[in-house]
Amino acid sequence: MHNHKGSISTEQGSLEEVQVLEGHTDRVWCSAWSPLGDMLASCSGDRTVRIWSRQQPGSDAWSCSAILEEAQTRTIRCVAWSPNGRCLATASFDATTAIWEVQAGAWEQVALLEGHESEVKGAAWAPSGMLLATCSRDKSVWIWDAMPGHEYECADVKQGHTQDVKSVTWHPDGDVLVSTSYDDSIRLWSDAGDEWSCAQTLEGPGIGHESTVWGVAFDRDGSRAASVSDDRTLRLWRCGRDRGEPRWRLLACLSGFHERSIFSVDWGVSGIATGSGDNAIRVFVEDAAPEPGRGASDPGAAPPAPAFRLAAQRRSAHPSDVNCASGGAPLQGNAVPHGSEPPG
Amino acid sequence: MDLINPSPILHARKSARRRLEPCEVVDESARQPIDVLEVFEHLRDVTDPEHPYTLEQLNVVSEEHIDVSDAESYVRVQFTPTVQHCSMATLIGLCLRVKLMRALPPRFKVDISVAPGAHATEDAVNKQLADKERVAAALENPNLLSMVDRCLASADA
Repeated sequence: MHNHKGSISTEQGSLEEVQVLEGHTDRVWCSAWSPLGDMLASCSGDRTVRIWSRQQPGSDAWSCSAILEEAQTRTIRCVAWSPNGRCLATASFDATTAIWEVQAGAWEQVALLEGHESEVKGAAWAPSGMLLATCSRDKSVWIWDAMPGHEYECADVKQGHTQDVKSVTWHPDGDVLVSTSYDDSIRLWSDAGDEWSCAQTLEGPGIGHESTVWGVAFDRDGSRAASVSDDRTLRLWRCGRDRGEPRWRLLACLSGFHERSIFSVDWGVSGIATGSGDNAIRVFVEDAAPEPGRGASDPGAAPPAPAFRLAAQRRSAHPSDVNCASGGAPLQGNAVPHGSEPPG
Repeated sequence: MDLINPSPILHARKSARRRLEPCEVVDESARQPIDVLEVFEHLRDVTDPEHPYTLEQLNVVSEEHIDVSDAESYVRVQFTPTVQHCSMATLIGLCLRVKLMRALPPRFKVDISVAPGAHATEDAVNKQLADKERVAAALENPNLLSMVDRCLASADA
């Protein structure tokens, strides 16, 4: 493990604001690009989901093309696109998850998943699109089978976290589900045939986060993951395997870059993007080569840990907390939309 | 129901030193910077959830435990529950957060915490009060919101 203290390089790229999408009337909690990058979904404390699209094909201007409402009665905390981009899952504090699909040119609610006892905080589709995971204030993670005809059946309920589960994220291979919690831990759930079992819990001194873990993101091939926390650190993990079971190891802990809680992380083609309560969006990249001379004095030393540096940051990206930062789909380059608090 | 603290010690209310000006001043450059006194004015008359007294009278909030920087847009408030095992601590903290959320411009980062050593489960209370997602969910609970509004009514007058 390698600790990086915050030092801001002078050779930084910049993040430029492309457009502000206005319409939500309360805090925006989450935004997500569709897999093709042709739509952006956002959700809010105003109990609506908005879909944003280009005003005309090829246009650089985005506008709201649909408002999804009246299916859920409280804050909508999370939106997740199915891998084929046809379905949108929306998780609400009203304890439900709604599934939406375009039918005859209009967004329709096609299913409502009930079962959690309290606020649903996250939802994520497996890469196959056959499974949907949800997590809740009720400390549980649910795995749902997506059946033909918009039928959803609960395949498994995982207890294990001792406090609210804040997020769920699938490994790109689809056989490992990652959950993060208010109990400061990250849990890895793996497919054990007839059920999902907890293969590893990342927690405790020297390894785990020291406060609520808000989210996790994988690099493209799933060999590494990044996690972010209320402890203001970004941790990088090597996602190894041992006899088929996931076995993660802490690679690096980046502290000193964020001034307040880190609420969101995404790992895209341009690097690792974070959204923080200090109003900033930051992008971290891996240094191509280790610093000269590092480890040279001790021939027996382990190979140097990968070095990550802050490549770009946009302070005051929003007038208040950045709740979500998500990189664009590969086709869209590196746009970073971000949910935020409502304007003053 | 038994009271958690049947006989709280009362403290005299200090005389009001300054009238609150409306905070939605349009011209930011012409306004008075927000300071400790102003934040205290917002909080002093919040009613305790258990007793018919204000948080100032019970010495739950005081000027000494408020830290403000207008330039850096932050407010930190430490409060002292009247007893160490006070089960109302989270509710009091929530009232303080909501009051400041409504009274201050949204650029302010507000941190509410129990004064060190003032509560048996200090870390748990502080973590809960700092979790914006839990706070947002709590305020969508009509029962909890009406309890908060009841405590704030006296301070909003």
